[in-house]
Amino acid sequence: MKVTISRFDPDTGEPPKFVEYEVSVKKAARVLNVLDAVRDTIDPGFAYRHCCRGGQCGSCAVRVNGEPVLACMQEAREGDIIEPLELPRIRDLVVDIAPIMAQIAWMNNGCDCSPVTQEEIEEIKPLRECIECYSCISSCPAISASDYKGPTIMRQEQRLNLDPRDKGDRILEAIDKGLFSCTTCHKCVEVCPKEIETPRKAIEKLRAEAAKRGLSLPAHKALASLIEKTGRSVERKEPTFLERVPDVIEPEGEIRATVGFFVGCMFNGRVIQPALDTMDLLRKNGVRVIIPKDQVCCSSPLIRTGLSGFVPELQKRNIDAFVNAGVDTVLTICAGCGSTLKNDYETPFRVVDITEFLCEIGFVAPAKVEGTYTYHDPCHLLRGQGISEQPRILLNSVAEKFVEMPARCCGAGGGVKSGQPEEAAKIGAVRAEMVKKTGADYIVTVCPFCEFHLNQVTGLPVKNIATLMMEGYRKQEK
Amino acid sequence: MGIENKTDCHVLVIGSGGAGIRAAVEAETFGETIIVSKTITGKGGCTVMAEGGFNAVLNEEDSIQTHFEDTMRGGAFLNDESLVETLAAEAPNRIRDLFSWGAVFDLAKDNTIAQRPFGGQRCARTCYAGDHTGHELVMTLLEKLRGSSVQIENEVTVLDLLYDGERVNGAITCDREGELGVITADAVILATGGAGQVYDTTTNSTAGTGDGYALGYKAGAQLIDMEQVQFHPTGAVTPYDSRGRLITEAVRGEGGILKNALGERFMTKYDPARMELSTRDVVARGIATEVLEGRGTPHGGVWLDVSHLPREHIETRLPIMLNQFLQFGVDIRNEPMEVAPTAHHFMGGIMITPDAKTTVPHLYAAGEVTGGVHGGNRLGGNALADTQVFGRRAGIAAGKTERTAKNVDKNQIKAAEEKLASYYNGSTKTADVRRSMKTTMWNNVGIYRNELDLRVAERDIRKLQNTPLKIDSPRELPDAVITENMLLVAQLVIEGALLRRESRGAHTRTDVKQTWTNETSPFGHTFFVKGKSGIEILEEKL
Repeated sequence: MKVTISRFDPDTGEPPKFVEYEVSVKKAARVLNVLDAVRDTIDPGFAYRHCCRGGQCGSCAVRVNGEPVLACMQEAREGDIIEPLELPRIRDLVVDIAPIMAQIAWMNNGCDCSPVTQEEIEEIKPLRECIECYSCISSCPAISASDYKGPTIMRQEQRLNLDPRDKGDRILEAIDKGLFSCTTCHKCVEVCPKEIETPRKAIEKLRAEAAKRGLSLPAHKALASLIEKTGRSVERKEPTFLERVPDVIEPEGEIRATVGFFVGCMFNGRVIQPALDTMDLLRKNGVRVIIPKDQVCCSSPLIRTGLSGFVPELQKRNIDAFVNAGVDTVLTICAGCGSTLKNDYETPFRVVDITEFLCEIGFVAPAKVEGTYTYHDPCHLLRGQGISEQPRILLNSVAEKFVEMPARCCGAGGGVKSGQPEEAAKIGAVRAEMVKKTGADYIVTVCPFCEFHLNQVTGLPVKNIATLMMEGYRKQEK
Repeated sequence: MGIENKTDCHVLVIGSGGAGIRAAVEAETFGETIIVSKTITGKGGCTVMAEGGFNAVLNEEDSIQTHFEDTMRGGAFLNDESLVETLAAEAPNRIRDLFSWGAVFDLAKDNTIAQRPFGGQRCARTCYAGDHTGHELVMTLLEKLRGSSVQIENEVTVLDLLYDGERVNGAITCDREGELGVITADAVILATGGAGQVYDTTTNSTAGTGDGYALGYKAGAQLIDMEQVQFHPTGAVTPYDSRGRLITEAVRGEGGILKNALGERFMTKYDPARMELSTRDVVARGIATEVLEGRGTPHGGVWLDVSHLPREHIETRLPIMLNQFLQFGVDIRNEPMEVAPTAHHFMGGIMITPDAKTTVPHLYAAGEVTGGVHGGNRLGGNALADTQVFGRRAGIAAGKTERTAKNVDKNQIKAAEEKLASYYNGSTKTADVRRSMKTTMWNNVGIYRNELDLRVAERDIRKLQNTPLKIDSPRELPDAVITENMLLVAQLVIEGALLRRESRGAHTRTDVKQTWTNETSPFGHTFFVKGKSGIEILEEKL
């Protein structure tokens, strides 16, 4: 088997270099077996960490083809590119983890040891599986853009916060360690070998407790009071989408499906055109659209920032609105709304993203539109809803030229754009560089926050996928 | 000549698994304490991989006496009674310590610590945190350690203990880059764990190389019962590189059933009363016999099946097992696991008193590096208890050691330096030597032993010991030293196995017919001190 390994020897003064190795390994060998083979048969000086060989100690985390994995669990494949985690490097695949270890909080236990209950333990358990491999720290987009200490540090703060035996004030500590810097992109969950849900189970919970103590960021408080007052997270400036459209939009020709349409605050009040394009797109594809006018904010900004007091009421209003409209499928065009409706609601109806819906029912092929396009995966679509293939199917059908780029958070989510705009800009700048590398003329995405933010940081036109599809259809009609 | 890089402390703890960290946390209250770990503290030992549980008498149906008796019987009466008494008596308090430090063990409905049954025990005595009890224990200890003043030295290998003619007073070390150093100390605690890595197939982490046995032996400490190597009945057999990985006893504790390739529940032949919950030596021999006699699976194992249990039960009680097998394409909710015995725990080791004292002044030891607690066969759940009970005791005893002038023997350091320099002129790569050793040990010193095989192994190991190891850079120094340590451990295991002309505990001699039972055996401990080894003959039993 041939693999490429990034080697680095600080003594030589030379930068890291990629070296190709050919080793013979057994069937179903793990990446660690490949590393062993390189050391045992080719270069005994090759440095990498490993210990338990069973996914339980976290020593052997490395990046394989760009993504953090445990070398002892990941099956090796021909052509794998093996690099260290994105942390300060010591030698070969060995990185300096001491500074991170020093940040992990320990329990500050008083001598009166309050008993702990099984219920409390069940809450703590999901945060306790961490094996300190630091894959999450390696791949967190927020760390380098702020003073944020990172996912596993927050995980531990909440783990201690949940424990009655701990006497520390973990909320203040978490804020100090950058609680409001997480964009809730869920990259940390994706790379975690134990699948620890740090954003949902630690960060949002810690933010909620901070909110109860009045410690939320001013921008988040302002947003929350706007939502409480108007039911919307965006100020009304011109006639909104809901004010412009009828209650029901009938399709051209035969009715192939009926959906309820959930518009979301941004598309309702700030970037209205993509929502209008979506209506045309659905009509063109034989979809009957029912638009309940009493729908409100999905409450994502509140849940993500921890200001969740008003959330149950919003949830109820939205569920009632669509139940009363008698629809069994609700369609979203905002990744954030879709992820919230799917993950934070218990809905009696099915929720689908526009891209998955179109692929499911089969869409009318559009004409090709000129230009080079790249696609930005919104975190709340890719990781929040597990959707990556469908937007690409749509794009490939309409774009003259489509170039891929790896997924990475743009910095807008989790209340970071409103609360910590400088951090959002820094994360965005990294993303802008990635976009630039593709040489694309246009960025396409399925999230109004990403759309708005990417346009700011790249200066490039950012198109919603519905808008692009409509361009194709319009061209066809000419 | 001479080492510039010198540190001093009151207590030096070598090893960072459950026993080492527990010892360090305790010793710190007496004075400056340093813990050195060949890996990253908390990640190296076998504790972090322990899945099953922690035995402690906590409910009224159980008693300290019952725990004592189960452990003695399980250990084929080769255990040191005073150590077992200490273990049983103090385990409950040690689990309470862990609780007060934040451990997240599973609780019963009434919020008391939940317990489950393990092999060879008459009561549900094993406390647990899902199937990652060891991980939970280490995380708790790490939190405690991080909140203490103990100085943590990661990725530092101990090459030799310093001995001033009367007592141990420190250690010669080597860091990741091959830099030598000296740590002087009033007391040294060995908590380096076991040596499963001398075998080809083992549950042990790569750090399980038995350095403490070698360090203690070279410093003059007495070791006992090195032939008593526990083979865990259930290790993975496929894929090839993952063979040996632990399939926790909790699988059988939760109701897992063993079947041979013919679909027979074969434990009816070996222990009809206790079946799958028999002691590990019995189950391991049962499986080995099924395979040897041709009733094994395609990969040379047997089937371990939980698919008759409710899916949710498997998902909540055995999540690590479920995930691990899913990675290898087996859904244990629907299909059986393929398992075979794998080298697991060293019951023998450095002889200690209940105060964790070794036979060398100022040298203490705790955890798997010691012998006597588990006799000829360790019961599941007793090892974690062992680390905490004797880890704490070692920490206290070492902490109370008198402060002494630390005269470092310059010759010892010089000898170490010369030894290390000689590796550059060696001929054979450490990896090659290790591979030969592992194969020899697995083939000739496994579950079933006889004099002929043991002599073959003895000759092979001696040959490897006489092979000059070769390194190319200082960073490979620790590897060479560790390889020599492993060869020494292998030699002691073979010597013990030759000395013990009986089948007892985990040690089974196919070439010896015996008329005695475990309880009436005329043999006591095998013992090894530099220049002297043998086996105790108990005359009153003859």
